[in-house]
Amino acid sequence: MEEIGKRRLAAALVVVALLAYFLVCAFPLHKELVLMPVWTKSISVASVAQTANTSARQKGVSEEKASGEKVIPFRLGNRYGYFSPDGNIIFSAVADYGVALAPDAYATYDRLSEGFTIKSPYGAELARVAATGYPFFAAGRRFVIGPDQMTVSELSEPGAIKWSYQLASVATAFNASPSLVVFGLIDGTIVGLDSAGKAVLDFAPGGSRIAGVYGVAVSPDGLLVAAVTGADKQRLVILEKRSAAYRVAYHRYLSSDYRRPVYITFTSDGSRLAYESSSGIAVYDRDTKRETIISVPATAYLGQTIRRGQLMVVLSGSGDAKRLICTALPDRRVLDVPVKASLAFVEAKNDSLFLGTDDSLVRMDFEER
Amino acid sequence: MSALPLSLRRPSALFLSIFLSGGLIFGARLAFTADWPLSPPRLAANFGSFAKGRVIVGVALAGEEGSVRASEDGEIAFSAEEGTLPSGLPSALGSFIVVEQRGGIAAIYSHVAPGTISIRERKPKAGDPIASPGRSGWIEGTGVVYQVFDRRASSWINPYLLLPPLADDAPPVIRSMAFSRGTKDYILGAAASVPQGTYRISVDIADPSNASWSAGVLAPYAIRLSVDGVEISREVFDVAKAKDGKLQLFAQNPMAADDLRTTEGRYELAERLFTRGRIVIEVRVEDASGNKRSASWTVLVE
Repeated sequence: MEEIGKRRLAAALVVVALLAYFLVCAFPLHKELVLMPVWTKSISVASVAQTANTSARQKGVSEEKASGEKVIPFRLGNRYGYFSPDGNIIFSAVADYGVALAPDAYATYDRLSEGFTIKSPYGAELARVAATGYPFFAAGRRFVIGPDQMTVSELSEPGAIKWSYQLASVATAFNASPSLVVFGLIDGTIVGLDSAGKAVLDFAPGGSRIAGVYGVAVSPDGLLVAAVTGADKQRLVILEKRSAAYRVAYHRYLSSDYRRPVYITFTSDGSRLAYESSSGIAVYDRDTKRETIISVPATAYLGQTIRRGQLMVVLSGSGDAKRLICTALPDRRVLDVPVKASLAFVEAKNDSLFLGTDDSLVRMDFEER
Repeated sequence: MSALPLSLRRPSALFLSIFLSGGLIFGARLAFTADWPLSPPRLAANFGSFAKGRVIVGVALAGEEGSVRASEDGEIAFSAEEGTLPSGLPSALGSFIVVEQRGGIAAIYSHVAPGTISIRERKPKAGDPIASPGRSGWIEGTGVVYQVFDRRASSWINPYLLLPPLADDAPPVIRSMAFSRGTKDYILGAAASVPQGTYRISVDIADPSNASWSAGVLAPYAIRLSVDGVEISREVFDVAKAKDGKLQLFAQNPMAADDLRTTEGRYELAERLFTRGRIVIEVRVEDASGNKRSASWTVLVE
């Protein structure tokens, strides 16, 4: 009897311990994240240019002011245009040669561009620019790169040249924040210019047999500059602004040996850096200074974070075989779907995902279940 | 016409560039060991040509046939295709390739045909085809633009210093010389006399081209200017370098490219005070093949 009592007591203790474990150490299961289709639109020029153009664009500024909505630019090869989150295709057109796109403005340009017109998404003329070279827009700023790929100018709101700067060699990479524009050069130098065109950063990381800058990124606050530099060995270098100067805050040699431009970007909240690596998308956490890898099957060419920087969306692949991959950071994959399209882009806003494929646009919303 | 002094000839200019750059250790050995990347070489622009929106710091070679070949042994350091680069930067050089050569030299072959860059062989040998001539990016015609960058000195080197001389027997043309003060120009020859005062002296020179298209008037290799037999300017188109956000030309007496070229398209070489009397002003020019021409004017200063 005493033996049985001991066993019962032991069993009761085990049950109590298990109950205590489940109560104290309970970890909620992840909610299932699903993508719900909201709308699909055709963006073929034939179907859109004739209808949306006449209905919205010709009304120009008044329409823009009346709507007040934030529109989203898209580019698929030479096709470009704008759409609204609710599925209104503002316009879709084909550029003869090139187009600079921003949420608030665009400009088409010719191969031998000696000037161009900046327009609003609704077609209102914002500025006429007399400058030789190609326009490019970023961080609410407008720039022109000269035919030599070494002369860069920033444009003022009315389209005048604010400043020009001759880089020491050919620019291979670029990124901008509202306060800093950074170029990577073939000579391995990272050059940063402030909003007045004054050089505030001129740094050659070195440490590789072949100098070069294959990608640069600036954090939204302009305090961090990251770059993939050099070949044999390739390096990730992160510079941080301390006092008035940028100093190396982190660096490491990479296993990659790219000899082409690579993707590198800070997340919209600036908390993480995502860059192309030989094993996928590497994500560097600014706070912990740790890196995780999101493995992707081929070249990753877009990385964006949504849901307060917790979810990274990556479009990866080549040719007609691409994949849309969503990863809850640091490394929990929540979505991996094939995308059959030769041209594709993805734009992530809040809880919505806008996927463009060849001649159509799709909106999908994330929902937790 | 008298011969230019030895100091203006190419080997000397090369040594000058080596000396001033502090780099290019192999420069002397590199001289003339490279080969033209497109054959036959037909110059659409050369080092110092002022083309629309830029100063050419290389050579633009016109041609639609054949391959763009590596001018020297090297290793591919970078290549990009026409369009917008992943960072959002448009490629004004179109499709281009950077080949790392010995001695800290990077050779850039730009505006080649999209999709033709050969990256299978990461270490091309001299003469290996690396792309096809093209018209990608901001370029006026089909061919290739070849540039040579000295990493150690952070400067562009005139490719003439490294390439075999061109078979060219046409000397540069001295089209005119002018004295300028304020907005007033006195074209020498047309103006019998000029008032005394300080003038900017400019000369309009063009080297004949045999290309089917042009990106800009061909620049001479060397210009020497003298007044009453005294040399006041001697410029050699040997190197170019960006300093403080501005492009400078010439290893000796660097001059801002913006200051060198006037809006009328002339090379503005010097500024001089002229007092009453008669002066003889002479300009001597030489192209990269050693063809020379000189011209002189007698000017009455009142």
